[in-house]
Amino acid sequence: MSNVSLTSAIPMLLKAVPRSRNFEAVLLFWVAGIHAFALAQIQLAVNQEMSIDLMGYWAPPTIAAWILHYVLRKHALNADGLLLPLGFLLNGLGIAMIYRLDLAEITNGSTQLFAERQVWLSCFAMLIAAAIVRLVPNPLVLRRFPFLAGAAAVVLLVLPAAPVIGRTINGATLWIGVGDLSFQPGEIAKILLAIFFAGYLVSRKGPLSEIGLRVLGMRIPSAKDLGPILLFWVASIGVLVLQRDLGTSILYFGLFLVMIYTATGRGFYVGIGMVMMVTGALVASRLFGYVAARFDSWLDPFSQENYSAVGGSYQLVQGLFGMAHGDVIGAGLGSGFPQLIPLAESDFIFAALGEELGMAGVFAILATYLLIVYRGLRISNTNTDEFSKLLAMGLSFVIGLQVFVVAGGVMGLMPLTGLTTPFLAAGGSSLLANWAIIALLLVLSDSSLRRKAA
Amino acid sequence: MSELALFLIRIGFVAVLWIFILSLLSVIRADLYGRRVISRIAKQNAPGLTAGSAANLGIEDVEGFDPSEIAVLTGRTAGTNILLEGKKEVLIGRAPSSDMVISDEFASSMHAKLVHVGSDWVLQDLNSTNGTHLDGKRLTTPETIRPGMTIRIGTTTFELRS
Repeated sequence: MSNVSLTSAIPMLLKAVPRSRNFEAVLLFWVAGIHAFALAQIQLAVNQEMSIDLMGYWAPPTIAAWILHYVLRKHALNADGLLLPLGFLLNGLGIAMIYRLDLAEITNGSTQLFAERQVWLSCFAMLIAAAIVRLVPNPLVLRRFPFLAGAAAVVLLVLPAAPVIGRTINGATLWIGVGDLSFQPGEIAKILLAIFFAGYLVSRKGPLSEIGLRVLGMRIPSAKDLGPILLFWVASIGVLVLQRDLGTSILYFGLFLVMIYTATGRGFYVGIGMVMMVTGALVASRLFGYVAARFDSWLDPFSQENYSAVGGSYQLVQGLFGMAHGDVIGAGLGSGFPQLIPLAESDFIFAALGEELGMAGVFAILATYLLIVYRGLRISNTNTDEFSKLLAMGLSFVIGLQVFVVAGGVMGLMPLTGLTTPFLAAGGSSLLANWAIIALLLVLSDSSLRRKAA
Repeated sequence: MSELALFLIRIGFVAVLWIFILSLLSVIRADLYGRRVISRIAKQNAPGLTAGSAANLGIEDVEGFDPSEIAVLTGRTAGTNILLEGKKEVLIGRAPSSDMVISDEFASSMHAKLVHVGSDWVLQDLNSTNGTHLDGKRLTTPETIRPGMTIRIGTTTFELRS
């Protein structure tokens, strides 16, 4: 060690990095063990015996995760080692919980089962992620078509409102579908939007942060530069009106604010954006009945009137009761009554997990999300080019904001919205989108190291 | 299944989840603070060397060597001299406030210092990144300068002359 100079130390550090792949392999073993534990515990608690069915829910996702790991070893040796195990942990916990709800449904004689679908959708999503890692050699490729990505996002957003293929489920127009297949295009749109914002803001960073009139000590950008922001605010309110979904519009607008703030470093945008968003939400709560009902349920969930109203606070209150039943260490997987919560397998899976794993378990899940977001921000921080920085920031923020909005809604901290819990909730579009985000973050983390070495 | 067994499984699952999360913290620890490095150099150099404390450290005394200047041999400032007369301490580093400024990318801002102890000059490395070399050896503990010894910091070498 006596003659280590700065120039010789850098290649030495880089050589040590592929450690992350081996670490990832160890973590994958561990996570697969946790999943087997969860499924076995559920079978023991519900059926009092273990059966070979367990393998059907355990093996396919595990194999898919290993395929993704193999692809990373082949094509992205230096990619972040934590993202895959963390996403896989949540995905498997989601499958276990949905399987547990299925068992309860079978006992009740219902035939509406979700677990098997979720297993195959998870595998599909992970394989798509592997394909992204394989096919996107360099994130800068994505920078070439910002407006194409933006236009595609807008088309995807408007698609559910189109006739014939558009679907309205539970009051929100978020789906398109052909026959039995349905898809939520908004989930993919958020990734395209992040790519669009990153590409647009990299080229407009200067004007947005420096040019403009000074008013009251703040520099207000010129209309030409501010235009797109106003346009986007109108668009996200438009989404709210068209699709009747508060959560989605909060998500898009929040993503936009964070990315513009990251690009320009100016609090002005966040301040004005928050004011616009809150005003928009308040106006919407007056104008649209469904938003008003959500606000009422949030402010006073336990009132008899809200509780018994159609689309009222019944679901929220059932979730709160469930989580209260869960206490600190939970009722134990398979030993609670999460099936009493409406939509426990999708919108309220967080409450279902809260009941069976307790506060300790919920905090572990939140810590897992925190680690995913943290890794994303770290990737953003270590990248050297502006586009990759912005994109990584936007993508990890999407996951973080979604968790906040969903968990906040389920816990009664904010009005309930129609966002999905990343990785946990039943639903293919959401799984696909979140695994695609993980894949892009993996690509971004890999290139950051490769570029440094060059 | 007995109640107790189910209870243990229930606790066990949450515990396994947390052990997983906590084990990941070891990675993050390295992110935040860097990898743990056990530095012998840092430990031994830690006490600030002053004229009073040098005697206690058992630093040897060299008779008959009373340098009056530092002569820079190589590096950007080669050929210049720095007078030592009347000085108790000479701070060497990249910082403009140093007594001897070394403009060298391998020098730390406070790299090393020379301390006048009795009639001798003692060289101490101030936990610099790339080290201070005395006659080709990296300095780990403060050492007395003998006649003809060369000191190297980055690409700059210098010696003490009477």
